[in-house]
Amino acid sequence: MRRLWLLALSCLLLSCGESPDSGRTTIVVIPKGTTHEFWKSIHAGARRAATDLDVDIIWKGPLKEDDREAQIAVVENFISRGVSGIVLAPLDDAALRVPVLNATRSGIPVIIIDSGLQSDDYISFVATDNHQGGRMAGQEMARRLEGRGRIVMLRYQEGSASTMKREQGFLDAIAESPDIVVVSDNQHGGATTESAYAASENLLAPLQTQDGTLTIDGIFCPNESTTFGMLRALQDRQLNGQVRFIGFDSSEKLVEGLTAGDLDALVLQNPMAMGDIGVRTMVAHLQGKPVERRIDTGVVLVTRDNMNESTVAELLRPPIDD
Amino acid sequence: MKLPSRNVLAPLLGLLGVYALFALLGPDSFSSARNLETMARQTTIVGIAAIGMTLVIISGGIDLSAGSIIALSTVVVAATMNAGASPLVSAIAGMGAGAAAGLLNGLIITRLRVVPFIVTLGTLLIVRGLAKGIADEQKIDAPLSWLIDLLAALSPSMRWMIVPPGVWLLLLLAVGVAAMLRSTPVGRHIVATGSSEATARLCGIRVERLKTGVYVASGAAAGVAGVMQFSRLTVGDPTVAVGLELDVIAAVVIGGGSLSGGEGSILGTLVGALIMTVIRSGCSQMGLPNWVQEIVTGGIIVAAVALDRWRHR
Repeated sequence: MRRLWLLALSCLLLSCGESPDSGRTTIVVIPKGTTHEFWKSIHAGARRAATDLDVDIIWKGPLKEDDREAQIAVVENFISRGVSGIVLAPLDDAALRVPVLNATRSGIPVIIIDSGLQSDDYISFVATDNHQGGRMAGQEMARRLEGRGRIVMLRYQEGSASTMKREQGFLDAIAESPDIVVVSDNQHGGATTESAYAASENLLAPLQTQDGTLTIDGIFCPNESTTFGMLRALQDRQLNGQVRFIGFDSSEKLVEGLTAGDLDALVLQNPMAMGDIGVRTMVAHLQGKPVERRIDTGVVLVTRDNMNESTVAELLRPPIDD
Repeated sequence: MKLPSRNVLAPLLGLLGVYALFALLGPDSFSSARNLETMARQTTIVGIAAIGMTLVIISGGIDLSAGSIIALSTVVVAATMNAGASPLVSAIAGMGAGAAAGLLNGLIITRLRVVPFIVTLGTLLIVRGLAKGIADEQKIDAPLSWLIDLLAALSPSMRWMIVPPGVWLLLLLAVGVAAMLRSTPVGRHIVATGSSEATARLCGIRVERLKTGVYVASGAAAGVAGVMQFSRLTVGDPTVAVGLELDVIAAVVIGGGSLSGGEGSILGTLVGALIMTVIRSGCSQMGLPNWVQEIVTGGIIVAAVALDRWRHR
């Protein structure tokens, strides 16, 4: 009986295991999660760089998407295993300090991508200027509302540095238009689309009048899951198109929403570039070349007018399946 | 010292089997001393909470609130430290918060006579909500202190300790509670209550008081696990350890604990916790995707319980 399942287990392990041989440069890329399309784009970028530079990458996210503890364990396991370098998107700007310090102490360089870390123990920080991205969304909102109206913002999650900067950037830009009132900015969508959907429903319920119209004029959501959850909630109540709705990041469904006019604009990061530059910068560092301490991967504001321009189209529909 | 009973032998062989498998198939680093230390550290939180859970399960109960208590404890530790308490006082406060939650469980179960599954399902939410409330729905940053070193990788100057203090604490607790179970009246009363509550009552055991005590112990253990969790996170996190109670219960069950009560051992539980860590670490180091890891762990839990049923036929 025991022999049987050991056998089954070893088959499973052998068939899925990819054990890179020890002489090659092996870089582990650790995202915050693996299911959001955003991370798939980062993975695609990292793979592109790895193929170009002839290095091996390992892609390993935490088991649970919003679990700081799980990500710490992943980092530790790769320190024990002894990889050439770690490219990490930290789930939390404080909790990952100690594992990153341990990696550096063990002689494994760390490059931080996507979200910041309150530490100096990394080689380089490769990320979007999130505050600027939020500002762009805020300015676009103010322009579309002609500087007057009532808006809400559904936040993403406590402790996520990148989205908190976007939220702050948005509010900073909105503050320049004194006639725009922020009705609600203290609700959080949480880690999953499902939780964001529920939060959106709860947020919209008191803002809806008897005859089915909304008492607000604009909505901002700071990432893919909150934007999609809000989009679904609006569509379910046939409120889509009634308000100016600006989101962040892209996915198939969000592009559809933009085409249909349910979404007015999306602020796009360049996750492909983040994965790509993260790995390239690590390889450059491992080869002894000097690298920049902070690398900005840029943001673009996409509307229905510019969504078919080729540079924007690649960002909207990243080639993640090849 | 007796040889481990048959109940413990099976999981022990399972642990050796899984370990040997990964040592054989995985990269060399898997069986390195350093990785052994890492795995010991990664087992500590589940292990400490599982010691308390073992008592509860032997007594015929269950404690679903363990994960939430861990979160509450990290929040209490961070909040008290920010309020100016010394690290030691904060750690005791974290444990105390856990014990208080355990007392709540015990009192509702024994006074209102509601089954433990339902009561702790309720307190799972109550305690989690409390943790989020105290933390104002955010993680709480706390000043760095020696608490961080409880479960951090040992720095070169601390190498003589072999494993970090938190792991020693786990071992110390395990030995203490195992001795209590085996050689004190209280220990035997817990087993008797789990085997047959009616008989235990007839024998003059004060079942209500005993059960309340068991839940307090389980809560306190989860509180200590929370202090360890804080040590790893360095922040008080009200969203940490969601679903961790299932890992804790799985550790007890893999280690030979029976959910119908009266059976289970501390050694078996530690082995159960280690089996799960070994699988996690092995899969991770071999670069296996998460879904394989989840399937393997799930398979082992079912296999362990199936074995348990088979023994009872």
